[in-house]
Formats: sequence, structure tokens, C-alpha cells
Amino acid sequence: MTQDSVQVTALPVRSGFGLPLLLLAALGLLGLSFLLAGQPAPAVAWPWLLSVVALLVVGAVGIRQSAQGENRTARILPAAATLILAVLAAEAVLRAYAIPTGLIPTPSKVAQSLWAARTVLLQDAYYTFVLEALLGFVIGTLAGLALALLAVRFRILERGVLPYAALLSSVPIVALAPVVIKAAGLGWPSKTIIVAITVLFPVVINAVRGLQSAQPMHLDLMHSYAASPAQTFREVRWPSALPFIFTALRVSSTLALINAIVAEFFGTEGHGLGFRIQIEVGRFGLDIVWAAIVVASVIGISFYLLISALERYVLRRN
Amino acid sequence: MTTLPSSPRPARRPSNLLPMLGVALAALLLYWPLMLWANSGQAARSLASGADLGCSTALACATQLRNPVIPAPGQFASGFRNLSVPPLAPTSAPYNALVTGGETLLGLALASVFGLVLATLLVRSRSFERATLPWLVASQTVPIVALAPMLAVLLGQYGVQGFVPKAIIAAYIAFFPIAIGMAQGLRSPDPLQLDLMRTYRASPAQVFGLLRIPASLPYLFTSLKVAATAALVGSIVAEISTISFSGLGKMLAENSRASDTVALWVIMIYGAALGIVLVAIIGGLERLVTRWRPPA
Repeated sequence: MTQDSVQVTALPVRSGFGLPLLLLAALGLLGLSFLLAGQPAPAVAWPWLLSVVALLVVGAVGIRQSAQGENRTARILPAAATLILAVLAAEAVLRAYAIPTGLIPTPSKVAQSLWAARTVLLQDAYYTFVLEALLGFVIGTLAGLALALLAVRFRILERGVLPYAALLSSVPIVALAPVVIKAAGLGWPSKTIIVAITVLFPVVINAVRGLQSAQPMHLDLMHSYAASPAQTFREVRWPSALPFIFTALRVSSTLALINAIVAEFFGTEGHGLGFRIQIEVGRFGLDIVWAAIVVASVIGISFYLLISALERYVLRRN
Repeated sequence: MTTLPSSPRPARRPSNLLPMLGVALAALLLYWPLMLWANSGQAARSLASGADLGCSTALACATQLRNPVIPAPGQFASGFRNLSVPPLAPTSAPYNALVTGGETLLGLALASVFGLVLATLLVRSRSFERATLPWLVASQTVPIVALAPMLAVLLGQYGVQGFVPKAIIAAYIAFFPIAIGMAQGLRSPDPLQLDLMRTYRASPAQVFGLLRIPASLPYLFTSLKVAATAALVGSIVAEISTISFSGLGKMLAENSRASDTVALWVIMIYGAALGIVLVAIIGGLERLVTRWRPPA
């Protein structure tokens, strides 16, 4: 249905035109930025804005053309082109309107700061991601799985604890963070605990749901094969729970990093991306803030993709 | 991509009340020794440094610390009284919880509109999906807190102040689960139903309004529940990082700076209650709107 409508309304241009159009738009925007770099801020900004918009329209047509088909390029090129065109357009518009760096820094300025502050940012990323987000994620997942197994094994626990887990999963993390940090200290372990708590609830809820999602027919079949409970678990319950667990892990993977960063706003010993962002916002060093955001985003996306890849691999094997 | 579990309705089971009460009782029984254990270290340190707490042993002092790790029952009670009476004073927690709740609901409404538009585009156009979906996912890894002060300054230049910037920031983190859930819901009608619409010679708009939108409602509400918590986090964080004169976030920031742990615990409980109430409101709305589905 949707595929039909896309192909019917697509422009009657052969898909080979996608790449040249994209190149045209990108080079045009780049040229605008260079023209603007040579002079002080232009007196009238709207002609520049108009040409940026025009080039973006060309780019949009190019993206549309290059998104046709099922090959690898058609899947990756549109997303990459969107990012590149958006960054170039932002650069040109910010320069045309001469927006002060203290308000919104241009992408090129952010890139410079990213390179200049790379050692500090990487060290911050090590604290925030490896020590806080990743460790918390692993601890939370393991604890969640253990709790889910207990809950499925002992029904009384499921009926007593699970409603609380569902209830507590709607507690905002930021309300929890100050209390945990006051209790566990300013060092990184307090943030690890916060991440673990936030990862725990979705994992418990989804794992219990998944462990119970095994079809009664399959369970009956195992029963008639006189399979031991351990065999039933390994052959039926666990495989049917995996998709549910991975859904929770994927959602938690982005949450883990964000929560680590948010938790750092409530107190650190001077490390971490959240600390860096907070400090630099206060000093109007917004180029460093954006650089930290870029680092956090790259790590977050990589982590998400890693979990997704792991999911595909594990689910295919089962 | 991020597939939200599509709320399978469990079969009716015996009431959970009794086991839940049992767990609550166990937690209450554990609370006292846990509190003593958590506080006694700090009490011992204060005693060793020569502070006059009006008590002799660490264990006896554990219930009387000024900034306890876990407050004692009496401290909880007085903390609640201090922050809740009168309930609508600008410094009391219930009033600030209402402010934050209002911002969150406004943010959710904004996020729903935006999410619906995005989901429609995602379902209608594959090139749009390929061009933007990776970045929609990526946008969720951006710590919004960093954007909050900038957004507040930018919006302030155009005369938007107070309530609205927080709602916009709440909407920014809430739109993603809604857009993804809605996109999944709009795709959920099976080919048979779509064929039926075609036999009726329904226009695309009719297929959308009569089939796809109603089919997506259960997905919408499942994702709204996820989004509600996210939006609440968003509005609290926005209150912390922008200039604000009311809201739970502002109270958290103040008491965090003042190291008033009892107040922090009380505000945390209010925040937790607010989150639970918001999700319950959406659950009630769901039952109201999706009447045709079998009750849970």
C-alpha cells in the first residue's frame, strides 16, 4: 500500500539522478558558507536564506531519488545525506544571520572545539559511558533477569513484586538522583547505581512477560516428551522470552547513557559528560557543550546499534 | 526499530492485593534496620569529630541526624508536614507537583501532535523514513538538559516564557516513543482489512481515518505511557536548568544545593506519585477511548 503510493507519486526522473543532485546541493551549501566566511555579516540576510532553502529543496529531491530501491546505498545514503545537508545548511544560515557563538555556535566552530578538547571529552566519555552507563546497564540487566526468573518461578513473588515494579518504572529518574547521590557519594558509583535502577524495571517487566509468552501448546509438547523443567526452560521459555528482553535492552541502552548524564547534573567529582555540559553552559561555552553532545550522541547511537546487532545475531541463532 | 511491546491483555487472575500487602509489610520491616545501618556510619563519623548531637552512641544518633541518608519515620512525618501544609502555598510540594504535572501534560499534547505527523510521514513515504529515522533515534541520545537553557533563551527572544519552554522540552523527549508507536500502529491493520476498505472503494483519507487511526490507538496509548514518564523527566530537568519559580525541579535543585535530604526524599515521593498518577490518567483515558476493546 505505502510502497505503491510512493512509486506512483515519485517524480519521473531515473534514480541515477539522486547522487548528482545531492552533490549539487551539498557543494552549493558549502560554497555559500565559504562566500559568507570571506566577508563580515551581510546587510540583508534573506537572499542567502532563500538560496539555502532552494538548495535544500534540490537536496530533498536528491534524497528522494536515492532512497529508491533495496540495495545498500538506498538504505544508507539518504540518512547520511540528510545529516550532511542539515549541518551545511545550519552553517550557512548561522553565518548569514551572524548569530553570536554564545547563542548557537556554527557546526565548524563545534568541530574545532571537538578536536581541541578531544582528550578531556574522551576522558569524560570514559567516566560517563564505561563506568556509569555500561556498568549500570550490565548490573541492572543481570539483576532484572534474576528477579524475573524468581518471579516466574514463585508465583506469589510475581503477584507481590511485579505490580510495584510496574508502578516504580513510572518514577522519574531525576527525582531519584539527588537522593541516591547524597546516599552513595559524589563519585561515579552513585551514577552507576542510578543507571542500574532505571535499567532494572523495564528488564524485569519485559522478561517476565516474555518468559510467560511461551505457547501452551509448546509447553504441552515438552510435557508429553517428559522433558525436565530445565529442558523446558532452555528449549521453550527462554527462546520465547528473548525478543521481549531485547526490546527492553534496546530501549534501556539509550536511556542508560541519558540517565548517566542527567544524574551527573546533581553532583560529581569533576568528571563526566554531564558535568562538562553543565559547567560549560554556565560559562556560555556552548561550542564545548555541543561538542560534548556530539560525543554523547555518537556513543549512544553506537551502543544502540551494537545492542540491535546483538539482538539480530542472537534471535537468528535461536 | 524501537518496537514497544504491544500491550497484550493478560487473562483475569486472582487479585494481587494480598501478595502486594505482604511485600509492602516486608519492606516496612526491612526499613527500620536498613535506616539504622545506613545512618549509623555517618552518625559515628559526626560523633568522632566531636559534634554534639545530644546522644551517646552511633545507633542512638542514627534517627536524629540533620541530613540522614535515609530519614527516620519521625523525620519523614515532619518533612511531609513542612512541605505539604498548606497544600497550595508556592513553597509546598503539592502545588509545585501540580505545576510540573501541567507542564508535562501540555508537553505530552504537543508531543502527540508532532508524533502523529511524524508517524504519518514515516508510514506514507519510505524515502522520508530512510532519511530521518536514524536521526530520530539519534535525537534520543542527545541530553536535552544541555539544550534546555539555550531553548529558553531562544524562545524568550520571541516572547515565549515561563510554562511553555518546559512543555516544549518535555515534548522533545516524549515525541519519539509516540512517533515510533504510532508508526507501528498505523501499519498494524492486516491486508484483509485493507482489502475490505478497497472493496468499499474507500479513499486514502478514509482508509486513514476509519481504519489506520483507530487501529493505532492501542499502540498510541501504550507509547503514551512510556512517553508520560519521559515527559515528566523532561519538564523536571527543564525546571532545573532554566530560570523557574515553581515546579518540582526547582524544589529539587534548591534542596539539593542546601543538602536537605529529608526534603529530597519527600520531593522524590511526590515526583514518584506524580509519575504514577500521570500514567494512571492515560490508562483511564485509554479505557475511555478504546471502549471496543475487551476490558483488561
